[in-house]
Amino acid sequence: MMNTSTGDERIATHHVSVYYQGNKEALSDVSLTFHAGEISALIGPSGCGKSTFLRCLDLMNREITGCRVDGLIMYHDQDINQHADLFTTRQRIGMVFQQPNPFGMSIYGNIALALRRHGVPKAKIKGIVEESLRSAALWDEVKDKLHSHARALSGGQQQRLCIARTLALDPDVILMDEPCSALDPIATHAIEDTMQSLAARGISVIVVTHNMQQALRVADTTAFFYLGEMIESGKTEQIFSNPHDARLRDYVEGRFG
Amino acid sequence: MRETSITVHAMRARRVDRIATSVLIAIAASLCLLLGIMIGYVLVMGAGKMFDPSFLFGKPQQFKAGGGIGPELFNSFYLLVITLIISVPLALGAAIFLVEYAPDNVIVHVAKMAIEVLASLPSIVVGLFGFLFFVLMMGWGFSIISGALALTMFNVPILVRVIQQALESVPLDQRDAGLALGMTRWETTLFILLPAAMPAIITGIILSAGRVFGEAAALIYTAGQSAPVLDFTCFDLTNPSCPWNIFRPAETLAVHIWKINSEGVVPVLTAISDGTAAVLLVCILLFNLVARFIGRTLSRRLSA
Repeated sequence: MMNTSTGDERIATHHVSVYYQGNKEALSDVSLTFHAGEISALIGPSGCGKSTFLRCLDLMNREITGCRVDGLIMYHDQDINQHADLFTTRQRIGMVFQQPNPFGMSIYGNIALALRRHGVPKAKIKGIVEESLRSAALWDEVKDKLHSHARALSGGQQQRLCIARTLALDPDVILMDEPCSALDPIATHAIEDTMQSLAARGISVIVVTHNMQQALRVADTTAFFYLGEMIESGKTEQIFSNPHDARLRDYVEGRFG
Repeated sequence: MRETSITVHAMRARRVDRIATSVLIAIAASLCLLLGIMIGYVLVMGAGKMFDPSFLFGKPQQFKAGGGIGPELFNSFYLLVITLIISVPLALGAAIFLVEYAPDNVIVHVAKMAIEVLASLPSIVVGLFGFLFFVLMMGWGFSIISGALALTMFNVPILVRVIQQALESVPLDQRDAGLALGMTRWETTLFILLPAAMPAIITGIILSAGRVFGEAAALIYTAGQSAPVLDFTCFDLTNPSCPWNIFRPAETLAVHIWKINSEGVVPVLTAISDGTAAVLLVCILLFNLVARFIGRTLSRRLSA
C-alpha cells in the first residue's frame, strides 16, 4: 500500500543525539518527521542506532542508567524530551518489542492490566478488550478462550496480542522494534496486514526492520541509519530504487549488513 | 598415518570422559550416602518416640522419666511464623529496592556488602548481640520477640538474596512492556514482576524457614531455654502461659536438644533428645518437600 494521504505531522525529532554511560555517542543529530496514517521503516545494519532512535520516541531510553538524550522530540506541539508526563506520553505512544512479551496471565488480563491501572472503569474494559483484539486481527482466534493463558498462544498470536495490548490505550503513534524477527512468514504477513490497517486508521506506525523486503512491502517512507547517523530518508520507492548515498546503495544491494 | 592419530585422540578423549563421569558420579553418590546415613540414623534412633502422641504433645518433665515436647513443638512453629512476619516484608522491600530502584553509587554498594556480611555472621554472634540488645537494652527479656528479631537478622540477608535473584531472572522485556504501557516502575514491579517471580520467591521463603526452624545458637540467649507450661485456653496476651504472648520465654526443639544434652538431669534423656532430633528433622524435610511442590505447581500454573 503506497502512501495514500500524507497526514499531519505527528511526531518529529530535531537534532536528536543519544549518549550512553561514559559519554559514548550512540546516535548523532537525527532529524526526522513522521506523519499520521503513514508507515515508516527504519533500516540499517545491526548497531546502527535505529533501535536506540525508536526507544527515544517513547522515552524508554530514560530507563537506562547513564543514558542522555539531547535535542527536541516534538509531539502534539510539545517537546516531550524536555517536559512531558512520562506515563501519559507512553500511553499515547505505544511500543511493540522484538520478542513477543505477553505477561504471564490470561489473554484478557494482558489487555486489561494497564487499563485497570490507568483507572478505566470496569464496565468499559470488556468492550475495549474486544475492540483492540479485533483491531489486531486476533479476536476470531481467541474469542472463546479469553481467560486461558497468553503464553499458550503461538508466537504470531502473542505478538498480535502485544499489539492489541498497546492499541487498548488508544495510541496515535505505534513503535515496533523488529516485530517479526521471531516469527514465521505467515505470522509476519498477518502482522504486516495489521500495520496497514492501523495506518489506515490514522495511526503513525514506525517500524524498525532488518528486512528490506518488509520495508518495501509496507512502508510509505524509509530512513537509513548507519553507524549512529541517519544517512538518508525519503519515500520508500526512492530509497530503494534511486538511493543517493553510496552507503545506502551498497546496503540495498546487499554488500554489507 | 593421520587417521590413526585422530582415532587415538578420539579414543583418549573418550576414555578421559568416562573417567571424569565416573568420578563425578562417585562424588555425588557419596554425598547422597552420607546424607542418607545421617537421616537414617536420626530417624531410626528417634522412631520409638516420634509416633508417640504423649511425647509429641505432652509436657516436658524436669526430673522424672517420660515427658514430651509439646510446648517446644508449638514454640518452634510460633517463633518461625513471627520471624517470617517480620523478615519477609523487610526482605521484599530491600530486594525490590536493590533490583528496581537502587542507583549505582557508593551507598548502595555498601548496603549490598552489609547484606553479604550479615548473611555470613556466625549465628552465636547474632545470638549474643540479640542478648545484649533485645534482651537487656530493650528490656524484653528472654522472649519470643527477642528470638524472632535475632532470627530476622540472619534470615533477612538470605531472603534478600533469594528474592533479588528471583526478580533478576524475570526477563527484561517484561519490565519494558509494563513501562511502555505507561505504568510506573512500582506498578510494573507489583503487577508484573512480583507475580512472575513468585514461584522462586515462595520456594526461597520456605527453604529459609527450614533453616530458621532448626536454629539453636541464636536462640539460646534470646528466646531462652525454658518452656513455660502453655494454656491454650488463655488469650490474655500478658500472661506468661498464654501461648500467643510474644513476651514469654520460648524454648524451641533445637534449643531443647542442646539443653537436655548439656545440662539435662531427666532420666532417659538420650531417648528424649533422639526423639526430638527426629521430629525436628522430619519437619525440615517437610519444609523442603513442600517448597519444591509449591514452587513447581506455581510455575506450572503461571507458564501453562
